Amino acid sequence: MATVTVQSLTYTYPKQDQPVLNHLSGTFPAGKFSLLTGVSGGGKSTLLKLIAGLLPNAGDTITFDGHPLSSVAPTQRAATVAMLFQEPSTQFTMDTVQNELRFALENQQVPAEQIAQRSDAALSFVGISDLKFRKLMQLSGGEQQKVALAIIVAMNSDVILLDEPFASIDPPTRLALLEKLVALCTDRGKTIVLADHDLSGYQQWVDHLAVLADGQLNLLSATETQQRFAAFTPQRLRLSHVQLPTEQLTTCLHGTQLGLAHGDRQLLTPQDLRFYAHRTTLITGPNGSGKSTLFKALVRLGHYQGHIAYRDTDIKKLRKRHYARQVGLMFQSATAQFLNVTVAEELALSQKYGNSTYFTSTRVQALLRDLNLDGRDDQVLYSLSSGQQKKLQLLCMLMMTPEVLLLDEPLKGLDYASIQTVMTILTTVQRELDLTLILISHQLSGLDGLVDLHLQLADQHLTYQGVSA
Amino acid sequence: MKRWHIRDIILVTIIAIFMGVIFWAIGPVYTILAAALAPFGLQPLANELLLGIWVMAGPLAGFVIRIPGAATLGELLGAVVEMFLGGIWGASTLISGVLQGFGSELGFIFTGYKRYGWFTLAMSTLTTTIVTFAWDLIRNGYTAYHLPFLLLLFVVRLLSVFVFGGVLTKLINNLLVRAHVLKD
Amino acid sequence: MNPSLKLALIVLIALEVSFVQVWTVNVVLIVVSLLLMLINRVPWRRLLLLTIVPLFFASALVWSLMIRGDASTHFLIVIFTRMFVYVYMGGWFTLTTKPLRLTRSLEQNAKLPSKFAYGFLAAFNLMPKIQAEVSTVRAAALMRGEVLHVWSPRLYFKVILAAMNWSDQLAAAMVSHGFVEGAPRTHSLTVPLVARDWWLFGGSLVLVQVGLFVGLP
Ligand SMILES: Nc1ncnc2c1ncn2[C@@H]1O[C@H](COP(=O)(O)OP(=O)(O)OP(=O)(O)O)[C@@H](O)[C@H]1O
Ligand SMILES: Nc1ncnc2c1ncn2[C@@H]1O[C@H](COP(=O)(O)OP(=O)(O)OP(=O)(O)O)[C@@H](O)[C@H]1O
Ligand SMILES: [Mg+2]
Ligand SMILES: [Mg+2]
Repeated sequence: MATVTVQSLTYTYPKQDQPVLNHLSGTFPAGKFSLLTGVSGGGKSTLLKLIAGLLPNAGDTITFDGHPLSSVAPTQRAATVAMLFQEPSTQFTMDTVQNELRFALENQQVPAEQIAQRSDAALSFVGISDLKFRKLMQLSGGEQQKVALAIIVAMNSDVILLDEPFASIDPPTRLALLEKLVALCTDRGKTIVLADHDLSGYQQWVDHLAVLADGQLNLLSATETQQRFAAFTPQRLRLSHVQLPTEQLTTCLHGTQLGLAHGDRQLLTPQDLRFYAHRTTLITGPNGSGKSTLFKALVRLGHYQGHIAYRDTDIKKLRKRHYARQVGLMFQSATAQFLNVTVAEELALSQKYGNSTYFTSTRVQALLRDLNLDGRDDQVLYSLSSGQQKKLQLLCMLMMTPEVLLLDEPLKGLDYASIQTVMTILTTVQRELDLTLILISHQLSGLDGLVDLHLQLADQHLTYQGVSA
Repeated sequence: MKRWHIRDIILVTIIAIFMGVIFWAIGPVYTILAAALAPFGLQPLANELLLGIWVMAGPLAGFVIRIPGAATLGELLGAVVEMFLGGIWGASTLISGVLQGFGSELGFIFTGYKRYGWFTLAMSTLTTTIVTFAWDLIRNGYTAYHLPFLLLLFVVRLLSVFVFGGVLTKLINNLLVRAHVLKD
Repeated sequence: MNPSLKLALIVLIALEVSFVQVWTVNVVLIVVSLLLMLINRVPWRRLLLLTIVPLFFASALVWSLMIRGDASTHFLIVIFTRMFVYVYMGGWFTLTTKPLRLTRSLEQNAKLPSKFAYGFLAAFNLMPKIQAEVSTVRAAALMRGEVLHVWSPRLYFKVILAAMNWSDQLAAAMVSHGFVEGAPRTHSLTVPLVARDWWLFGGSLVLVQVGLFVGLP
């Protein structure tokens, strides 16, 4: 058990003049589950990285039961504090689950004969013993997060920091993981600090919400906390006016005998699939079911079985350069989209080749202000917070205004206010430019006004949901 | 002098793999070129033309990771990747990798790892070409060629290494400097 | 055989074969590597690929040497067979050695600092992602109206940025999984290095020397 105390912590990134954290103080009590929230770019990731000792930090402003991390022997630091990252796939060194567990335990100098037993215990605690021999690269995002959690359990770290661990996790998996985390607190006395924007599902476990704003940490009272949670009640998540597609709609993308597979694993059994022009279609489905793979097939970035036609022409017969301007993809990971160095350059590229009659520079400036991204012209793209990156990525792709825009989890990691803004922008632009939007999302709150059609991916099959018109 | 840290080691390896992948992607071009030139006994020219891309990992790693040995390591790891992918040079790839890497490393050694500009790149181009050519004299029996043809091969190789390992590397470096990820 | 010694063996032999011109030794090495691959049940498809591709390049090289140079027949045979020695030995090594085992062996037997061993490995395990990234970058550019070629600086720039980003993330992840540069570690699996490995290594080298000595004109 360890209590984490932060005392008057100030942090400024190199070459920046504004501090991100400004005389921040706060306590994360031992054996408790603390939830951290705050606007995008508020500094949650920065704070967690500082606690984990991943950013150089002067002095002993952060202590574990009164001791700074620097006083702990290097090989025992991981047993004191461990962090689960937001991006599931780049947190492993080895090829398989078993080997990664071995690696982590060897680092802690656990005697060889105890390693197998400790690994197995951790896997069964998280309930993923069946994943032991699987290749990490081939696991879905949700499974990877479970493995990362099992490793922390095996390392027996006292303090567990989680930076938006559920950002790309489907709701049922999220609940399952959350239960495991709570069990770690109550049964094993671990101290957990978790950063999240989506506050649903925490009500029963969290008494006080910690809000990071203006470089300061604010602990909300019990009533205020409940008010915040209320904004995420399940009623808000329903899609009320989705309908089954009707005869009148025009098909823009048409898959015949379209199937998807990775290696021997079939993700989508060959089926007939239509996407409709000038409508917004939502695709949902569990982690690892093949949604991103479908999008990649639609933009010719991956293999597929069968045929895909765009406006009645096989997409393999279209010129790549031409087709890429008709059907655009907003990638699941924001950094994959960027081609330049700074925010301004990235916007300039979209302005140059995109629909500049609609997206005039005044309009773009206004949108940047709405998205809380103004005044960052010269910031290097890769140093933006994950939410800021996501918003900029969306804007850049909207400015290109392809006929069909595929959005892979456009709301991932956005705070509540940003989701509202993004929804308003998407709805307006879609209506005014008569775009076709197809989006994948695990997070459904706020989507109701935008979505016309709903495709669900389950049991290797995509089916339209909703009532007939 | 800077020492190797885990991040640099990962970075040099990823760069090497990337270069391997890019080289792999142009594999068909190489094969077609080689097949087109082969009937005229000019197949080695295909090698020489594209060699520049293959040895780019060295100068690129040297520029990005300014630690002694970066160029050699980058190129050697690229060779390891190529061998595991099943490249046509098999076991000798590793030797070529070390030599190619050392060739470009020499350019950095001559300038004492202090200057990262045109001069260093020009040096590196020259040393890479000489070292790798000497190795091909032995390994591929280039010694048996008539002198004029040998000279042709050398000049083409020099040009290719200059264009890719020199000019292109410098342009990439300029972009990285502008992005503040590298110092000038 | 111990992976580190196996690696040393093929590099040494490849080096030697490059300098000495004895085609009989080349043929013996080819046959031995082929047998070793067959014993280890290397798939036929791989074997075929390992043969056809070098066959084309070796023939093209020999043809070129014939019409653009003045090599003796003996020399041409040496060059031709040499290519197959490289490929088959390389094939035997890569098809019978797992990267992870090689890394463990290099760490434990060859005393390679663990930061190198695991740094390499972490990056190698990212291979599928790295492979996909190049096409992703090009596709992302196309969607924004730009075409990236092999000679476009922007392609490499973007790729290096991705590399830097991933190496930051991976390094942080390794630290967070308890890895400390230079700190001692335990080994859940030890790669044995026994007398038999040394005998195989030494014996093979001696045999090659004898062969070369006898075969030299
Ligand atoms: N390396 C860096 N250099 C300069 N500024 C940075 C760097 N990393 C982050 N920032 C800035 O610091 C601020 C805080 O970033 P941080 O990632 O901690 O935010 P966050 O609260 O985690 O946001 P999100 O909810 O979007 O993940 C942001 O404005 C970001 O742009
Ligand atoms: N390059 C690859 N090689 C092998 N398997 C892969 C590859 N890419 C993805 N997969 C696997 O294919 C499955 C589908 O992946 P995909 O990314 O399409 O899922 P998804 O539905 O988008 O999931 P998420 O909601 O987590 O984003 C996953 O199990 C994944 O591990
Ligand atoms: Mg964050
Ligand atoms: Mg996905």
